[in-house]
Amino acid sequence: MKLWRFIMAMEFRKILAYRSDFWITFLGQTFIQLLIARALWQDVFEARGESTLNGFTLGTMTLYYLIVPVGSKILTGENVGFISREIYDGTFTRYLIYPLSFLEYKTLTYLTHSLFYGLHLVFIFTVYHLVFDPGALGPAAFSNLFLGVGVYLLAALAYVMMATAIELLALWVENIWSLMVMLRFFVFFFGGSFIPLDFFPAWALGLLQYTPFPYMVNLPAKTIMGLLSPEKILLGAVVLIGWTVAFRVTVSLLWKRGQLGYTGAGV
Amino acid sequence: MKRYFLLYLNFLRFSFSKAMEFRLDLTFRILMDIIYYLVNILFFKVIYLHTPLLGGWTEEQMLVFVATYLLIDAINMTVFSTNMWWLPFYINKGDLDYYLIRPVSPLFFLSLREFSASSFVNLLIALGFFAYTLATYSAPFGGLDLLLFVVLIVNGSLIYYCIQMLMILPTFWTHSAKGFIDLFYSLGMAMERPDRIYRGWLRILFTVLLPFALIASFPARIFLEHLDWGTFLHLLGVTAVFWVLVSYVWKKGLANYSSASS
Repeated sequence: MKLWRFIMAMEFRKILAYRSDFWITFLGQTFIQLLIARALWQDVFEARGESTLNGFTLGTMTLYYLIVPVGSKILTGENVGFISREIYDGTFTRYLIYPLSFLEYKTLTYLTHSLFYGLHLVFIFTVYHLVFDPGALGPAAFSNLFLGVGVYLLAALAYVMMATAIELLALWVENIWSLMVMLRFFVFFFGGSFIPLDFFPAWALGLLQYTPFPYMVNLPAKTIMGLLSPEKILLGAVVLIGWTVAFRVTVSLLWKRGQLGYTGAGV
Repeated sequence: MKRYFLLYLNFLRFSFSKAMEFRLDLTFRILMDIIYYLVNILFFKVIYLHTPLLGGWTEEQMLVFVATYLLIDAINMTVFSTNMWWLPFYINKGDLDYYLIRPVSPLFFLSLREFSASSFVNLLIALGFFAYTLATYSAPFGGLDLLLFVVLIVNGSLIYYCIQMLMILPTFWTHSAKGFIDLFYSLGMAMERPDRIYRGWLRILFTVLLPFALIASFPARIFLEHLDWGTFLHLLGVTAVFWVLVSYVWKKGLANYSSASS
């Protein structure tokens, strides 16, 4: 536990090393995507001449796009791509002398980023709730927020296992960068980052429930907005845990086979 | 000029032979871009399930716009993107030295050296999609429209390149480009939406200060509605202004550069 705390503290220091980067990313990713999405949906609401579409008003749509870009950072962290890079560089061997396994170390550093962006989301949501939309989310706003951030962290754990399974393919194939980008396309589009899933056709939603994507974006975002019942949140959390276990098993199998053929620096 | 042309031909030869060495990676990259195109088309297909118009355009018109920005994106991915990826690393590691001492413009070399062969295949796919949207588009258009469109597509790619450079060049001072590059990709989404959805100060931001909305929406207008000569010349003028700005910041950045050997 002490070791975990040490690794996470070290990662926090790394995140804060380039402060200008942090503030530019913070402002850019939070507000630019929100402004563009809001402009688009404002146009859609005006074209339809209605104040509510599929259960969303322009106000709730704005809140959704305030949560989702930061939520995407909680989900995808910053460290994805590092395992494959180290495999290609041959520097992966350093984990042989670390006092914990590579997967434990990577997951910890990854979740530190997720936790950091979780705090970022708490701050932004608090400002929005208290300054721009006081009272509109009701008395449960903050309990929903913390529950939603918790679901996001669970989703991040599922994502890191899924991403690690793909990254370990680097033990066999020459470059997996494009596979990681494809994964992001799938998670963000089919998860509901670009358009809330309520706007997808019913047949598509029926298919998507058998994938992990809606549970990674739609579930936590709507939990924060207070749009889901406790039963649905619980069911979603159980599904996420199920996917995490499935990807964790895949990672173990891949690592078991892949390490036999690994050639690193000094090996 | 001939020397630069021959040099560029060598860049192409080198890039293609390098790409063919890693065939599986090449296949993955082509697949990745195809998925990117599909996601973009599906995005608007889903939106149009809920509205007849977006930014004043119908779904048929929107597909021409989508094909236009995919084409501009494919040009940038093919010609500039890999170079833009590496530039901050060269600046930080002092590797820029190798480019500064060569008897060609360092900006030319650093911006065009890596031609992305995998994206070139996708450029052909984007071109095919664009041809399909035009072939199925109901309004008539002539040869002059196509010619003007080609000019504005190249122009849009150059605006995109200039803005990207302006986001990377601060690395000379900040020593990390990550924040600005993340910001650039967030802002890049503004290009992928029709310009008329932006109103008030947001319109000023995306058409004057960071003219992402000029990159694809205006070239597409050639086919979708009337584009006057004044607007056409204005778009070329914007590129000229941004190019002057890039050259100025590049020179200032170089003056601030600490090479590996200094």
